[in-house]
Amino acid sequence: MARELPYIAAIAEAIREEMERDETVLYFGQNIATSENDPFLQAFGSDRVRVTPISETAEIGMAVGAAFAGFRPVVQLYMAEFMLVAMDQVVNEAPRFHYMTAGQVKVPIVLQAGYGFTAGWAGQHTGTIYGMFMGVPGLKVAVPATPADAKGLMTASIRDDNPVVFFHHYLLTLEHGDVPEGEHVVPLGRANVVREGDDVTIVGIGHMVGRALAAAEQLAGDGVSAEVIDPRCLAPLDTETILASVAKTGRLVVVDQSTRHGSAAAVIAAEVASEGFSSLKAPVQLVCALDATIPYSEPMEAYLIPDAPKVVAAVQQVLGEAPVPA
Amino acid sequence: MAEALDRDRLVWMFTQMVRIREFEERVKRTFEEHPGVIRGHTHLADGAEASIVGSIAALRGDDQLLATYRCHGYPLALGTDPKAMMAEIYGRSGGLCKGYGGSMHLTDAGRGFLGTSGIVGQGIPHAAGAAYAAQIRGKGQVVLSFFGDGASKQGAFHETLNIASLWKLPVVFVMENNSYNVVTRVEQEDANAAAGEPLAVKAQAYSMPGTTVDGGDPVAVHEQVAAAVARARSGEGPTLVESRVYRLSAHGNIIAPPGVPLRFPDHEAITVFGNAEEYEAAKRGDPVPRFRARLVTDGALSAEEADAIAEAAREEMQAAVDFGLESPLPAPEEAVKFVYA
Amino acid sequence: MWRIRAFEERVGQLTRANEVHGLVHLSAGQEAIAVGVCSQLRDDDAVYSGHRAHGHAIAKGAPLGRVMAELMGREAGLCRGLGGSMHLVDAGHGFLGATGVVGGNVPLALGSALAARLQGSDAVAVVFFGDGAVQGGIFVESVNLAALWRLPAVLVCENNGFAEFTPRSAHTTVERVSDVVAPWEIERETVDGNDVLAVRETFGRFLARARAGRGPFLLECLTHRLGGHYEGDPQLYRQALEAEEWQELDPILRLQRRLGHGGFEHEARAEVEEAVEFARASRFPSPELAAGLVYA
Repeated sequence: MARELPYIAAIAEAIREEMERDETVLYFGQNIATSENDPFLQAFGSDRVRVTPISETAEIGMAVGAAFAGFRPVVQLYMAEFMLVAMDQVVNEAPRFHYMTAGQVKVPIVLQAGYGFTAGWAGQHTGTIYGMFMGVPGLKVAVPATPADAKGLMTASIRDDNPVVFFHHYLLTLEHGDVPEGEHVVPLGRANVVREGDDVTIVGIGHMVGRALAAAEQLAGDGVSAEVIDPRCLAPLDTETILASVAKTGRLVVVDQSTRHGSAAAVIAAEVASEGFSSLKAPVQLVCALDATIPYSEPMEAYLIPDAPKVVAAVQQVLGEAPVPA
Repeated sequence: MAEALDRDRLVWMFTQMVRIREFEERVKRTFEEHPGVIRGHTHLADGAEASIVGSIAALRGDDQLLATYRCHGYPLALGTDPKAMMAEIYGRSGGLCKGYGGSMHLTDAGRGFLGTSGIVGQGIPHAAGAAYAAQIRGKGQVVLSFFGDGASKQGAFHETLNIASLWKLPVVFVMENNSYNVVTRVEQEDANAAAGEPLAVKAQAYSMPGTTVDGGDPVAVHEQVAAAVARARSGEGPTLVESRVYRLSAHGNIIAPPGVPLRFPDHEAITVFGNAEEYEAAKRGDPVPRFRARLVTDGALSAEEADAIAEAAREEMQAAVDFGLESPLPAPEEAVKFVYA
Repeated sequence: MWRIRAFEERVGQLTRANEVHGLVHLSAGQEAIAVGVCSQLRDDDAVYSGHRAHGHAIAKGAPLGRVMAELMGREAGLCRGLGGSMHLVDAGHGFLGATGVVGGNVPLALGSALAARLQGSDAVAVVFFGDGAVQGGIFVESVNLAALWRLPAVLVCENNGFAEFTPRSAHTTVERVSDVVAPWEIERETVDGNDVLAVRETFGRFLARARAGRGPFLLECLTHRLGGHYEGDPQLYRQALEAEEWQELDPILRLQRRLGHGGFEHEARAEVEEAVEFARASRFPSPELAAGLVYA
């Protein structure tokens, strides 16, 4: 049974259901339960749900230590950039210990990190930085684009025995979508073909999936059939699905809100160039944010970020149909 | 209130101190006797034995501890097999962590030694997390968090002590203050030390008791740590114990590119500060012979028994070295295992 | 203080009307601290703030029109629309800026203090932060260094008892920020942050000593955040003050009662309206500006 829920509620539902199912799941972070009436606090008590001070290093470090001791903490960080304050714990501690101890301990933590809030939140709160966390051995990175996937990926992240950074896009917060009731798991590392097509593969990440779909609609009107893929998880990355699609279409456009050299798009393009070169009929096109800190003022903010027209232009490029400039 | 230590306990403490010293000496000698076997950066705990053993003597079987990259002493006192430890330091498949971690990351989770971090200060929140877990479990377990004076300037120290105090976590923070952070003296980097104060005063910022103890006296250390452990166990929250020690070796072996033989240089007191007298004084106050002399004088131990303990330790650690040298290197393809749980 | 109060009230209205967008944190109620401190500073004294920075910028000399234009994302704004509310900078007046990540501003101020000393100047650095920042690691790392190097910096804590949506008791066992720094024995004082004359007097003493090369100092100002954490915060987590209670605490009313007269409100509101007109009349920056200023 599915019913409509907003994206943010789907995430909370996943956390709540997992906390009901497994008493080792903890949930803590700043401002997380600001009164006694908070539903999580009421349901699970102040052992398992705690407010922390502004102390990201300690919050994430304590999650690691509690995980060593058999618990499964979810840390609510609110904004991805706050992880930067505690980068050592995220990159150089949490993902290392299972390996360095040859499996004596594991670190099943989930870092809940909102990102990409291009609504005037300005330079330090609006970045798209998941690229920094790809390629860290032992660390998994989830990026849901729909409410159903938000619930399914959060469930999978909590159940995963490895540290997972769960990036949820702030502009998707109130997006409604069908969300299955009860247990719903979307495995980490499995992409979703959102729209089938034959002429071009468009891979979109997070909020950009919607822009890719809008572009695909427009392209359909011009007789171009675009296949849209949502990887859903950046580490592990489902290159197989992407390569199979490119084998069919021969053309690839990747849409990513990160800046080019810090993007998942660059990694995907490299994989396809290296493993799927013989399928390609045209160079891969990356549609990424321009290389600048996100500015506050709206027209400038919009200028930097990929949108449907930019995707359409990129598709026209790989199809060889871009008009020659005068 | 710390229980008085009976003779058996005192002899046990002395034995562990001797074992730790012998193990560290053998690690150090490996650089000379078997060059190339130990790679990377190795940090020794010689000089800190009394602090390590005095602290661990205050624990019960299901308590836990975490430490830093200067980690060889703790598992020895917990009963971890020195053969596996030496093999780990030698990077062998028979190592405690099958060669994956090396000297800086000895772990024996089964005995409660949950791990170490190589990044100064970053293991402190890990210990608080384990204490949070213990608090939820409600069995009265306590966690010891070992770190050095250098770590007390790290934000992680501040954040963790604040939360631990606020949540009354069952953790004891044991700061081994050896007055050096690599090549920097504590007065050069710590405002409290520069003002001539003990570092334990930092606890005041967290409504936490802070005490300073002679880390060269295992009985004194035991008394302070046991009191802190009792406090934690009864739910009253954490304590900061500043244990004053002097490390007898340099911070670590020299840092050099592959091909240049690694070795242990002289202590920074001599090489950087030209203060040989400080070092000589520390050697005169070496806690291991100091405790031996005290036990013999008090009649807890005869000289012959003490010698026998030393001899047994020599044999034990020789066997550890032999085991380490004979243990095969891991197969290269093992490198991609244990990435994910 | 009236200029700041009028400005913040107007910004609240404009945010609700969507003329100012994004995340905005207002400082109504805390004016006495900004004014008591900044009124004694020079343009070459560096001032840093956090996300609740409008009052500090204005008190340090940033023209109202240019601050308003920045909040409206206009070309005529202090940062040409690039920064917004949380990233106001007016380098000419020594307001080196607001920052968006709690605590990140504290070491920046130490840098300015160090630079002043190295340049042989008697300029000082001041950093404003809230009580929530004090539990962050970066705060104590900074206090240690500032104390060790005796930097001419004044750390001004606006302790309004709340860090975002939780009270101080959820963050730490230590009620007074001045007690948190006690172990480092830096000169410190706690004052009523709603008494502009008390703030002015105490800061003035610290300032004189800082100019003479002493430091650091901590000035804890106990105050009250009249609004929510951000504009739009429904504030379900605390009881609103009764109007009568606020009358007693309001720094502006208290000063007026001390001085025996009011005034200034009318002029302040007029100046703020001019600022709004100025901002509205300014054009939006051209989009290409966004990519143009990445590197110096």
